[in-house]
Amino acid sequence: MTIPPTRRPGELAFGIVLVIFSTACLWQAFEISGFAGLSEAGVFPMLAAASMLVSALFILRDTARLSAVAGDEKPFFAEICPTRLIVMTGLVLLYLVVMPWLGFVVASSAFLFASIAYLWHRNIIWSLLVSLVSISMIYVVFRMVFQVVLPKGTLFPGLF
Amino acid sequence: MGETLGYLTLSWFDPWLMFLTAAGTLSGIYVGAIPGLSVTMATAILISFTFKWEVNDALALIAGVFVGGVYGGSRTAILLNIPGAPSAIATAIEGYPLAQRGEAGEAIGLTTVMSVIGGMIGIAGLALFAPAISSFAIQFNSRDYLLLGMIGILLVGTLSGESFAKGVFAGALGVLIGMVGLDPMTAQGRFTFDTISLLGGIPYIVAMIGFFGAAEAFVQLRDLDLPAIKQKVDRIIPKMADVRKYFVLALRASGIGTIIGALPGTGGDIAALLAYDDAKRATKNPDVPFGKGAKEGLVAPEAANNAAVGGAFIPMLTLGIPGDAVTAVIIGALFIHGLKPGPLLLIETPHLFWFIVGNLTLANLFLLIFGLTGIRVFTKIVECPKAILMPLILVLSAVGTYAIQNDPTHIYWMLLFGLIGYFMKMYGFQVGPVILGVILGPMMDTNYRRAMIGARNDIGIFLWDFVSHPISLVLSVSLILMLVSQTPLWTRLRSQSKTPAS
Repeated sequence: MTIPPTRRPGELAFGIVLVIFSTACLWQAFEISGFAGLSEAGVFPMLAAASMLVSALFILRDTARLSAVAGDEKPFFAEICPTRLIVMTGLVLLYLVVMPWLGFVVASSAFLFASIAYLWHRNIIWSLLVSLVSISMIYVVFRMVFQVVLPKGTLFPGLF
Repeated sequence: MGETLGYLTLSWFDPWLMFLTAAGTLSGIYVGAIPGLSVTMATAILISFTFKWEVNDALALIAGVFVGGVYGGSRTAILLNIPGAPSAIATAIEGYPLAQRGEAGEAIGLTTVMSVIGGMIGIAGLALFAPAISSFAIQFNSRDYLLLGMIGILLVGTLSGESFAKGVFAGALGVLIGMVGLDPMTAQGRFTFDTISLLGGIPYIVAMIGFFGAAEAFVQLRDLDLPAIKQKVDRIIPKMADVRKYFVLALRASGIGTIIGALPGTGGDIAALLAYDDAKRATKNPDVPFGKGAKEGLVAPEAANNAAVGGAFIPMLTLGIPGDAVTAVIIGALFIHGLKPGPLLLIETPHLFWFIVGNLTLANLFLLIFGLTGIRVFTKIVECPKAILMPLILVLSAVGTYAIQNDPTHIYWMLLFGLIGYFMKMYGFQVGPVILGVILGPMMDTNYRRAMIGARNDIGIFLWDFVSHPISLVLSVSLILMLVSQTPLWTRLRSQSKTPAS
């Protein structure tokens, strides 16, 4: 693979985040046992965090050397973080938050229906049908065949 | 001998194991074929569902998915010019032109037969070399394991992704994730931030599902449309004359595939590209030029990537070092079932080794059957829109993560890893080294400390040990060569040595 001649939108910021994150990791790794000895619990984490920091600095240097995004390039939100990603992340988060309350079956059906209706530009009835069929298949395969414990909700005790 | 044979053929006569292998192979073909679904993703999710099963049952299913998945990528490569998996990139170059000429069926048939030949040779390589390597590997000590782990992560890091620094970062990040939780030697908390849920560490399956399942689903959201299959597929059984004609080439490519697969850190994708390149150079007068539908260019990468499956099991089972991302996930499955891949695996649990060998063989036989049938159903299923698939992957990732320890916080971790993985992929990082780091990190940490204690905490003795023992010396030199070859100094030296020669 060849390095693109221009920087991707937000790439420089990502590089800086990596450096900060690595520094924080190194500091946390140092907190484990400091320089108490060469075979202490914190030595290997420090080595790993140090490798992260060094490579992150190299990555940042390489990114900074690339020419900045050209004027006609799409901005960060269109290129790297499109609306679809934000909406889907939001839906997943919502799904996780309501799962302990609604239980797996109801929460997943709702999530599947909402996301399929959003992503698939078809009839609502079709989306509903597809999500109901898929959730029944998942239930049969995982609950009955694989015997996986699925999270139950507090709203419908004993049911889902 | 009789016992070995019994374990080897265990799954051939047990209807349930046979069914699981068949089901795994069939679903693997579809998973490999549907762009956006990867074998690594499927294996990671499957492990979370099967960890309560008997080891043999789980392994039968997973081996099937692996074998089927590596092959499945070729189908979409031929029919749609979209490699369903990275190991089918070379296949698309020759396969799609063949399909455009109306020879899609024949191309699929030939690919199937050659994949099975390649697969069988890879398994033969595993059966022949693993016991030898394993008895040699008993002499390895902690230092050597530390070196092997570093070599594995760096190889994956160098060969994939945009730059060496990005590979190193991803690997080191994985190692760090692997360190979270109580230290196994001193029971000190590491990166736990005094929270109870982090004391037990982050299960690597959570990281795997996040980085390979959710992250990939997020990436796929960017482009949801898949062109429909318009190719006419008729005759799928290849001509005997073709099989005979390319048999020698397939053998040669399988050899390459097995060896590349066996190197820690390299898998089917690299094996396929190298074999394609080799076939291009070795074929003096192809009937059809390369790039326009040369069957040689179809046979070589497909034989090689399936041979790499058997090859990849060699370092995984004998050294405990996964050959690539998929084997890293499979090694996770072995750990979960309480097995310790490494030189002692073949001595302590030889039945498991021979079971794996026999099972992979069976999966290859099923591949032959499923590969040559069911193409009409196939074209329908592959058209399943991503708008339906991707939400399903997210739901499966959530259930899979929950199933491991019934801990809902793990699902949030999975989502976080998914988002981190998404941005890493967007900015040219590979997530393979992360998973290798998560799996190998704790092993490397323990071995580093053992070696350091062995050197009485003296850094001088510790470093001297790396060059004074023959095995360590060889490994240290290879590691240093790998590092040096990535520096600007090396590139300058090479360009200087080339200039006078030309």
